[in-house]
Amino acid sequence: MSDYLKPLPPITNLSKPYWDSLQEGALRMPQCQACSLIFYPPAPLCPGCWSRDLTWAALSGRGTVNSWVVFHQAYLKGYDNEVPFNVTEVTLDEGPRLMTNLVGIDNDDIRVDMPVQVVFDAVTDEVTLAKFAPLPGWSPEGGTP
Amino acid sequence: MAGDTDRLRRLADQAVVCGVGESAYGRRLGRSAIDLAADAIQAAVADAGLTKGDIDGMAVTFGSPLGADADTLAFALGLELKAYNQTWAHGRFTGTALQWAAMTVAAGLADVVACLAAVSFTGVRRLRVGGGGDREGAREGGGGHGEDPVYGMTSPGAGAALMARKYMARHGATAEDLAAVPISLRHNATLNPLAMYSEPLTLQAYLGARHVAEPLRIFDYCQVNDGAACVLVTTPERAADLAQPPVYLGGMQGLPAGRHEFIWAYPGFGTAQQIETDWTPGPQPVHRMAGVTPADIDAFFTYDAFSPLVWLALERWGFCGIGEVWQFTADGRIQVGGELPVNTNGGLLSEAHIMAWNHQVEIVRQLRGQCGERQVAGAEVIQWGNVYGDSLIYHR
Repeated sequence: MSDYLKPLPPITNLSKPYWDSLQEGALRMPQCQACSLIFYPPAPLCPGCWSRDLTWAALSGRGTVNSWVVFHQAYLKGYDNEVPFNVTEVTLDEGPRLMTNLVGIDNDDIRVDMPVQVVFDAVTDEVTLAKFAPLPGWSPEGGTP
Repeated sequence: MAGDTDRLRRLADQAVVCGVGESAYGRRLGRSAIDLAADAIQAAVADAGLTKGDIDGMAVTFGSPLGADADTLAFALGLELKAYNQTWAHGRFTGTALQWAAMTVAAGLADVVACLAAVSFTGVRRLRVGGGGDREGAREGGGGHGEDPVYGMTSPGAGAALMARKYMARHGATAEDLAAVPISLRHNATLNPLAMYSEPLTLQAYLGARHVAEPLRIFDYCQVNDGAACVLVTTPERAADLAQPPVYLGGMQGLPAGRHEFIWAYPGFGTAQQIETDWTPGPQPVHRMAGVTPADIDAFFTYDAFSPLVWLALERWGFCGIGEVWQFTADGRIQVGGELPVNTNGGLLSEAHIMAWNHQVEIVRQLRGQCGERQVAGAEVIQWGNVYGDSLIYHR
């Protein structure tokens, strides 16, 4: 029995390979074999060309911060002791964006366009979440060396 | 292009608003959504000089569990409807409902369409938009406003905060600049006896208020309340001998969706999965259909559930350049008496959150010259235009 109280993702046939990849310590997203588009969230066909010839591509896990917010109000179960916490939108180097939390950084130090990389947070035995941390060596004042 | 404009113009001025009305607005009114809807419909029918039997169409934009459904309303009010329609329980379908009503009366499917929403946000125990009941955010692929409760991203306001943060970083705007939106709309509300909040808001009070989803503060969030508002749409011929001067629906632009769109940003802004491009809004189809330009608009109304939505709507509809609106909204420019009055009723931020049906009521009263202290002098053309891309141009 897990003591993790926060909402867990609805895992469907369509999204299961994504969640499985995180369990395995990789970040995989759907890629169209016909036009090469990598897209998220998963869909039954390629939104670029309607091909159904899809595969799961391993991504670099690198990206940049597109935007972020800091919640000062706990709306959800499990967040009462966490406010203020950040929710960050990361643009992956391969194109798709992911909603996530940045870890290993003060909220005041988050910047648009800062480089980040994925870290895997096994929140329960069944579910691992993709979170992101600043690229080693990055600082809010100096950027990346 | 000329052909497109000809097709667009076919529906121009083929429908008018002939009556408007509302219930009381407030928190914990202790009345059901049907009860409130009945007040708004009866007030609109009386305003138009019509009677119960004249209503033969209905468009509802916000049904159960927080509102009243069209079929239930028809039963409760004893209406005999030839055609009705109801959209998903979200605020963004107000324009869509009015466009459907205009097409319906122009095509002869009904003569008088009651367009409305009733909301009872405080009549249910728990707000189900965001928070523990965030079923929409938990759907596959996340919610339409950027919700993803797995990471604590819940409530539509957080999606607006995400967009505001990006806008501020890209264009150098600050919280002090954003404050001009709720302060200006609150100023307008001080002139409106129906407004729920009519105490002036100062910059100091705004900056001293708590953050909800930072960078947004409590004053950047709309009201949570109960109430209903109704607009009656008919043909110009039917309106000719009614009690009020008709207000014409001169231009329309549908609600867009796709990979260039995110509900809280203009095309190409690059939020959620939106494609990021350099987008420059030129004249839009709604302008061509109505035969006007942004310079002809006497007042602008927009869905202001969160104050940054006003910013990006003003840019989307061409009142200033991309990246310039934080300067545009300064100096009282969007207040009553300013260069471009916005949401003269006080908006969702200060009058009430009636899914912006209260805004449509206000537009009609402005064009009839019935707005008293907050009347925009000589108002002839008013635009309803949203950050999410739909629009109506009303004129006298």
